[in-house]
Order: sequence, then C-alpha cells, then structure tokens
Amino acid sequence: MSDLSVSMSAAGGLPQSPVLPEAPAKVTVRNLNFYYGEHHALKNINMSLGTNRVTAFIGPSGCGKSTLLRIFNRMYDLYPGQRVTGQLMLDQTNILDPKLDLNLLRARVGMVFQKPTPFPMTIYENIAFGIRLYEKISKSEMDDRVEKALRGGALWNEVKDKLNASGLSLSGGQQQRLCIARTVAVRPEVILFDEPCSALDPISTAKVEELIQELSENYTIAIVTHNMQQAARVSDKTAFMYLGELIEFDDTSKIFTSPTDRRTQDYITGRFG
Amino acid sequence: MAVQSDIVDDAGPYDRAKALSAFKLGDVTFYWITRISAISVLLILGGIILSLIVGAFPAMKEFGFAFLWTQRWAPSADPPVLGALGPMYGTLVTSFIAMLIAIPVGLGIAIFLTELCPQWLRRPIGMAIELLAGIPSIIYGMWGFFVLGPFLANTFQPFMIKIFDGVPVLGAIFAGPPSYLSLFNAALILAIMVLPFITSISVDVFKTVPPVLKEAAYGVGCTTWEVVRSVVIPYTRVGVIGGVMLALGRALGETMAVTFIIGNSFRISSSIFAPGTTISAAIASEFAESDGLHQSGLILLGLLLFVLTFFVLAAARLMLMRLEKKAGN
Repeated sequence: MSDLSVSMSAAGGLPQSPVLPEAPAKVTVRNLNFYYGEHHALKNINMSLGTNRVTAFIGPSGCGKSTLLRIFNRMYDLYPGQRVTGQLMLDQTNILDPKLDLNLLRARVGMVFQKPTPFPMTIYENIAFGIRLYEKISKSEMDDRVEKALRGGALWNEVKDKLNASGLSLSGGQQQRLCIARTVAVRPEVILFDEPCSALDPISTAKVEELIQELSENYTIAIVTHNMQQAARVSDKTAFMYLGELIEFDDTSKIFTSPTDRRTQDYITGRFG
Repeated sequence: MAVQSDIVDDAGPYDRAKALSAFKLGDVTFYWITRISAISVLLILGGIILSLIVGAFPAMKEFGFAFLWTQRWAPSADPPVLGALGPMYGTLVTSFIAMLIAIPVGLGIAIFLTELCPQWLRRPIGMAIELLAGIPSIIYGMWGFFVLGPFLANTFQPFMIKIFDGVPVLGAIFAGPPSYLSLFNAALILAIMVLPFITSISVDVFKTVPPVLKEAAYGVGCTTWEVVRSVVIPYTRVGVIGGVMLALGRALGETMAVTFIIGNSFRISSSIFAPGTTISAAIASEFAESDGLHQSGLILLGLLLFVLTFFVLAAARLMLMRLEKKAGN
C-alpha cells in the first residue's frame, strides 16, 4: 500500500488519459531478438502498437527501448554488424523482409529524434524536401502542403513570415516542432519519437506533448522517454523494458498505479534506474 | 586563515614572487617568439612581391599593358617581343579542365569512402589516396611523358577527335592531330595530382556530419544519393570548397610535371589536344638560359601568376560568401 502511494507521487499526480478501447494492432512484434555483433540487445519481445494510439516505452538507459524503436523503421540497417530475428509486421507488410523498399518503409514509418535535426536548408525547404521525394506537385500545392504541415507541427504562426530563413536559425523547441512537421508532411502511418523532449525546455516540452496527443488522432505513435510523467501524460499504453527484455506491457494507468511486476514497481517509484 | 599561513610557512625560504618572475620571463620570451614568427610571414611575402616587382620592372617599362594581350613570345627577335597571353591561357585552361575532372572524381571517392564503402576496403583506398599525394611531381611528369602521353595520343584523342568532327564549337575544342604533348594531357596529370587534396579534405569534413542528421534524412525516406546531395554536401559545403581551393591553388602553380608534358608552345590553339604552355612551365623551361629583358619578362610572368592566383582565390571566397547568404545563414 505504501508502495502504491509513492508511485503515485513519483508519477506526478497523474492526469491519466482515459482508458480507450483496445485498438487493432498497427505494428505487431513477435519473438523479436536483436544483436549488436555478439551482444544480445533485445530478448524475445512480443507486443503490438495499437492503431491511432500512443505507446510509451520506459526503462533505464541501455534497456533496449531506443533499439526497438530503430527496428520499426529499419534504421539499424545503416550500420554493419547489427542483425535481428523474429517477426515484425506493419499491417500486412513484413518490415524485416530484406527485399523491402526501405525508402517506402520510412515514408510510412516516420521518426523524430532526441536532438532536433533540421536539414541545412530553409524552413520551407525542410518540409518540401521530404514531400518532393515522393510526389511531383505544383508550387501552389506545395505551398499548401508546407503550410498544412507547419500547422500540424504547431509552428506555422511562429515561422510564416520567415519561411526562407535557415531551419538552423530557429530555437531548439521550434526546431523540434519543425522536425515533427517534416515527418508529418510525408503522411506517414506510424511516427516514432525517440526521447523527443530531452533537449527541450519545459514550455517547449509541453507544446510537443500537446502535439503528440493531437497527432494520435490520425497516427500510430511510439514514444521512448526517460520522463515517467511524460509517459503517463501522453500515452495510452506503456511498455516497461529492462536489460533487453519487455517486463510489462499494459494500459498506462495500470502500469503507473498497479504494476504486476516487482521491477516495474521499483522503477516507477525511483528505486533504480 | 590559519591554514593559509601554514601553507605559506610550509613554502619555506623560497620567495614565491621571485619564482613566479622566472615564469614571467618565459612568458615574455614565448610571446615574442610567436609574434616574430607571425610577422616574418608578412615580411617574407612582402619581400617576394617586392623583388618580383623590381625584377619585372624593365619588362613592364618595355612592354606595358601590351604584355597581357600579346600572344607572340620571341625573346631573340630584334627588338624582342614578349607576351603573356599564351601562358596565361594555358594556365587557366589546364587548371579548369583539371578541376572539371578532379572535383567529381574526388568527391565521388570521398562519398564512397564515407557512405558506401565496406569497412575492409576503407583503409586500402584511403592509403592509396594518401600515397598518391606523396608521389613527387617529377615522377608524374616522367610517367605522363613516357606512358600517359603516348597512350592518350593513340587511344583517347583520336576517339574524341572522330566523335566531335564537324560539331560546331566542340569540334574545334577536340581538333586533331593527336599529340603526345598537349594541354589536355597536362590537365589530366594535374587532375590526378590534386585529387588527393579534394578527396582527403572531403572525407574529413564528411565525417563531421552528425550521424543523427543523416539518420533523420534516411528517416524521411531518402536514398543514399539524396542524403549526400541534400544533407551531407550542404552541411559540409565550406570545408569541401576549401579543399577545392587548395587543389586549385596547386593546379595553377604546378610546374615540373606540366613542363614535361605540355609541349611548351606559346601559340594559342582552340584545340585542347594541341601543345601549349603555362606560366610556371614557361618560367621553368626558359629561366636558366635567359638574361636581360628576357629574364625580366619571365619574372613579370611570375608576378602575373601571383596576381592570377590571388584573384582566383578571392573570387572563390566571394562565391562562398554568396552561397552562404543564399542558404539563409
């Protein structure tokens, strides 16, 4: 009982998102194992991301949550010596199929990184760049799409007068929202957030969190975070990972109030991590 | 306080101020040594310019600005006629062609090495590039003279001449007959010589692109080519252009290899397969046997090369500034 009250305060009062009905799976993970060379980084992961739901991944550093995220869009493919076994499906597509068109996969599964990564070009071009990879559209259509994307990233009002300024001239929080807008612009189905707020101040963080909530109406979202309040605030489901294993995966409200596993409880109450 | 005085007591009979003053002397010496080193660069540069001007003065007085647009070079005529147009043309054309070849190839190698190359192949290629930079230019000259020149004259040149025969403009540029000694051969050797500069500098700056930025570009679905074109090269633009400038500087001034294979002809021909000369090649091949006005004319050529290099590098710097402005920084 005392454990429970501690966990409540650690998770910060918990403005819990209401428990939504079970959604059909967008991404399904079955018996997934991942290796960095000899190192067995992910052990037998089984879970799924619900369509238009936010799934949070929490756990101490090095537990494999970012690694798992980077498998969803095959980012690990860029580096030699990393391999994966098991099954990973995006709807009916086998993500792990070696013959899969990676560019197409990454158009369907967008990613936002820990540090803002605006491309070295203007704000307008940062957005238009991704769209142009897949579509040939007129200038006026492109203007519309850029505006829509920037509105989607809750950035339009701040940058509409300086679309031709360099993306690098924005503040950190604005840069991160530019990256989100850029990701949204290519109309993905799934968006992966890898600790999107860890380099941001509290106000920018609040804006990005709000944005994630809005995006979840249309996109399936996975977010890795070290901030447990954040996980509690934005997610519908939470996965707790530890030493490469998925310890517990359940509704966020359940994970933060009555976790079944001892280790989950210890982690969210701050006993280790 | 007590601790403080303890420490002072422990310091014993040494006078700390005195000990420190020894360091101070060292510092002053150090300051002056570095300062003199820096100033000496300016003095040497100024001295070179001054002696070039003094040496070139007789020729300047004799020929005036006509030196710049006279093609004839006849030091033993009476009165002697000296004009710099041929060597200037040769210098600019060979450097231009060399850069035209070396920039894409050099960048291509750099991109391959940093983005695509399997790990085990990286070191051999990287070392080959470094070795290429270490080959003395005289070796390039001999190789160009005995191997590359005959090879080009027997294969590549006839091929190009035949293809472009009758085509306006291009037909004149690739006109026959094939020659062992030509502007094009010199340009090709220059391209090989400057390649390591472009490649090794590009490799170094490409490595400075944060991996997460590249991942972000791959993350929106870019192919490797799109990542390189839209992220890696714009991000490293300044460094890459710096490497190209260094290469251009070397190409403009390279002497020995060019002297061997350019043919030393002061006549300007529209064909790049015809012999020509560059400023440095002209000086190298004639300086030993020159005197009087002839020698002064050669020194004036040297001064021109100095000015030419300065302007080319200044123009490149200007272009870089424009680029940065356009990118919105």
